[in-house]
Amino acid sequence: MDDVGPPTTRRQLLAGASAGAASALAGCWERLWSEAETTGPEQISMTIKTVPADDDELAATIASQLRENYEAAGIDATHEPIAEAELYRDVLLEGDYDVFVARHPGLDEADALYGLLHSRYVSEHGWQNPFQLTDVVVDDALETQRSATVDRDDDLEELLEHLLTTTPYTVVAYTDALCGAAEELDVPVPPKRPQDYVRLLARSSNDSRDRPLEVGTYGEGLTERLNPIAVDRSRLEGLVDLLYDPLARQIDGDYVPWLADDVTWEEGRRLRAEVTLREGLTWHDDKSLDADDVAFTYEFLGDTSMGTVDGGVPAPRFRDRQSLVESVDVGDSRTVTVSFPETSREVARRAFTVPILPEHVWADRSDVVANRRTEALATDNDDPVGSGLFRVADVTTDVEIELEPFDDHVLRTTTDRPDVLEGFSQFEGIRFQIAPNPGAIVDALVDGEIDLTTGELPPTYAESIREADGVTRVSEPTDAFYMIGYNSQHAELGHPHVRRVCSQLLDREHAATEFFDGFAEPATTPAQLVGFRDDAWDRDDDVDDTEPELLEFPGSDGAADPGQSRALFRAIHYNYEDDVLLESSG
Amino acid sequence: MALADVLLELAFVVAAMLVTATLVIVGPRRIVAAARGFRWRLETCLLPFAALVVVLLLRWSTQDIVRRLERRVLQNNITPQLFAFDQALFEPVTILQSFQTEALTSFFVFVYIYGYAFLLIFPFIAYFALEEMDELSTLVLAFTANYAIGLIFYTLFIAFGPRNVDPMAFEGLLYDAFPQSGALTHEVNQNTNVFPSLHTSLSMTVFFLAWVTRTKYPVWVPVSGVLAVSVALSTMYLGIHWFSDVIAGTLLAIVSVYIGVNYTVEGIVAGVREVVASRLGPPSADGE
Repeated sequence: MDDVGPPTTRRQLLAGASAGAASALAGCWERLWSEAETTGPEQISMTIKTVPADDDELAATIASQLRENYEAAGIDATHEPIAEAELYRDVLLEGDYDVFVARHPGLDEADALYGLLHSRYVSEHGWQNPFQLTDVVVDDALETQRSATVDRDDDLEELLEHLLTTTPYTVVAYTDALCGAAEELDVPVPPKRPQDYVRLLARSSNDSRDRPLEVGTYGEGLTERLNPIAVDRSRLEGLVDLLYDPLARQIDGDYVPWLADDVTWEEGRRLRAEVTLREGLTWHDDKSLDADDVAFTYEFLGDTSMGTVDGGVPAPRFRDRQSLVESVDVGDSRTVTVSFPETSREVARRAFTVPILPEHVWADRSDVVANRRTEALATDNDDPVGSGLFRVADVTTDVEIELEPFDDHVLRTTTDRPDVLEGFSQFEGIRFQIAPNPGAIVDALVDGEIDLTTGELPPTYAESIREADGVTRVSEPTDAFYMIGYNSQHAELGHPHVRRVCSQLLDREHAATEFFDGFAEPATTPAQLVGFRDDAWDRDDDVDDTEPELLEFPGSDGAADPGQSRALFRAIHYNYEDDVLLESSG
Repeated sequence: MALADVLLELAFVVAAMLVTATLVIVGPRRIVAAARGFRWRLETCLLPFAALVVVLLLRWSTQDIVRRLERRVLQNNITPQLFAFDQALFEPVTILQSFQTEALTSFFVFVYIYGYAFLLIFPFIAYFALEEMDELSTLVLAFTANYAIGLIFYTLFIAFGPRNVDPMAFEGLLYDAFPQSGALTHEVNQNTNVFPSLHTSLSMTVFFLAWVTRTKYPVWVPVSGVLAVSVALSTMYLGIHWFSDVIAGTLLAIVSVYIGVNYTVEGIVAGVREVVASRLGPPSADGE
């Protein structure tokens, strides 16, 4: 018979098919259920905040390169430009960021790390622990180095090693100050700090002229706010320090008595310093500057609410320096005795570099205007009363601010004055002209409308100044640096290992030569990576020998290699799925 | 000082362009007629002009408030999205900048500043010289809509242009080639206001209206078209705007022209009055 019959009936086929479908569906359902029940790890995302190129070309470029390199490593990275004033608000006041790229004016002393990193400042504003770091090892080391007299270098070295491993932030490069100046002008250094201006004005080769020195700079809203203790605004570097004098200025590493005539130290159980003020000191409004103002300043910086708010509202600037001081006792009108809690002299003298504020002006600014914010922090202080060598002349606009000589200043008349003032002053004050962008100030310089630019000229303009007639270029290495800061409250950036790998993802050598056109020095030593250009206290070879792994860039010519960078994250036990870096938990 | 110089130069160049275009496109006959009847012409479009002035004054007087609202309260920073859109598409800004030559840069700088100013001012002269003032009223209302809607967007969104995000990838050609122009653009606008591009929207508005009035000024259509497209391209070539800003600007132009053509200020005012009256007006006591 040739009738073999159908090998499978329709019914069988249907049954088989439905069974197969059911089991397939069951598998599918199971997967759906398990996906619904357990959320798998998602891609790590990070937002890099920095200023727009209008405010800082270099920061914008570094952030942009960083974003590309993070993406190569499989991170969902976004680059969010944000106006300078707002960046400082977000980063320094609100802590609302993942990663930021910013220019830091430089650390004046190793103890400056105290303000930058101590966990007691975790909820405070300003450059006080903007990383929201809470690390007991760091806290201990910061406290020990303050009081250490003999082995301070060892303490600092330990701290440095710890900071290299945990990397709350990392330094990219140290910038050179760069300015253009009229050829006939003798410019010792590009002006940035108050002493740079003083030196320039004192040069006898700039023989006396009865007009102000014309200085060009650029930026947004530079004249809007002249508050010496606020941080939420962009400011003209050095300007406020020319208006407000401290007891002593740090010049070339030395502490030069300024408002102070003399300081005598007394090392008993507690370190104490008796400060005698110069004779005949006055404020710009002709009221006399006395010991009460000094005592008031330290108290006010510690609590601008003058005791009305529980816990106080400290000024967001000079916090670490103010915290060195335990109390200030007024002797007579010209003497104060400053007491320090367990602190070495070397560190304690930093406290004398804060600007002294007039009590009769600032005492009235202690009212609370908003949540933990006092009038003192909110005020624009547009009519600043200081005691500096200059005061603000009446004519102030968005594009110009003029400082006129304060003729009653003691240091203008006395013979017993700091060396830096020898020959001061060959000009009648200083006039800052503010252009919308650096190109416009270079043009103004070439056209002879200004004498020089401030020391903040971007390196891209170095060439056009060199080529122009009648102008010269002046540059000088500085302590200012570009840094990458991490929010240690971020789910992943809270892990030191992640911060360390992230810090490797920028080619510092490449940045210094390409972005900065060579007007910068890449951070290469351990000390440089945490913010100290000259590693004077970094003598131990142990530290030097451990070639910082932060410098091993996984790529070439600035661009990170996806394979190499992913290997770094895999090495710290992170996983990838479809070339996407996954969160550690989830 | 720098600003005054820039303004003076701008005034001279644009005036020369306006005189030439007026003679060629509008023609002496119409000019003479317009000069004779300038009084009634002005009176006819007083209301739309008043509306424009009100919006401009509002923009100017609320600068500080808008800035604080935009940057501190709303804080909608859409720059990363604009950048991502540009990248996902075909990187129009990068492509345009890759054609960079000195001549092309000069051309686009010229178009961006002088061409744009000319493009905005000339239609006022041209429509003023017509027999009816309908076109002029339409133009003024369309401009008003541009500024008013633009202001809303600028308050809602913080957006930085390409040159501000990545100076290595996108060159800020305008300020490299012509730094003083910064004094001018700084006065008029802020660098956080790039979405949408008002340069594009106003230029396109002029071009679309030129098409609407093509029977009156046929020559003006190609001239304004070439200029408007050049302005839109220049904003990207110079690294000031993203492609998204230009698209949004063009859409804004379409909306504004629609408003300008279909509505009148009188109509809008009457409509608003009616609504207010029906909502707030006391119902007459005696129903009868």
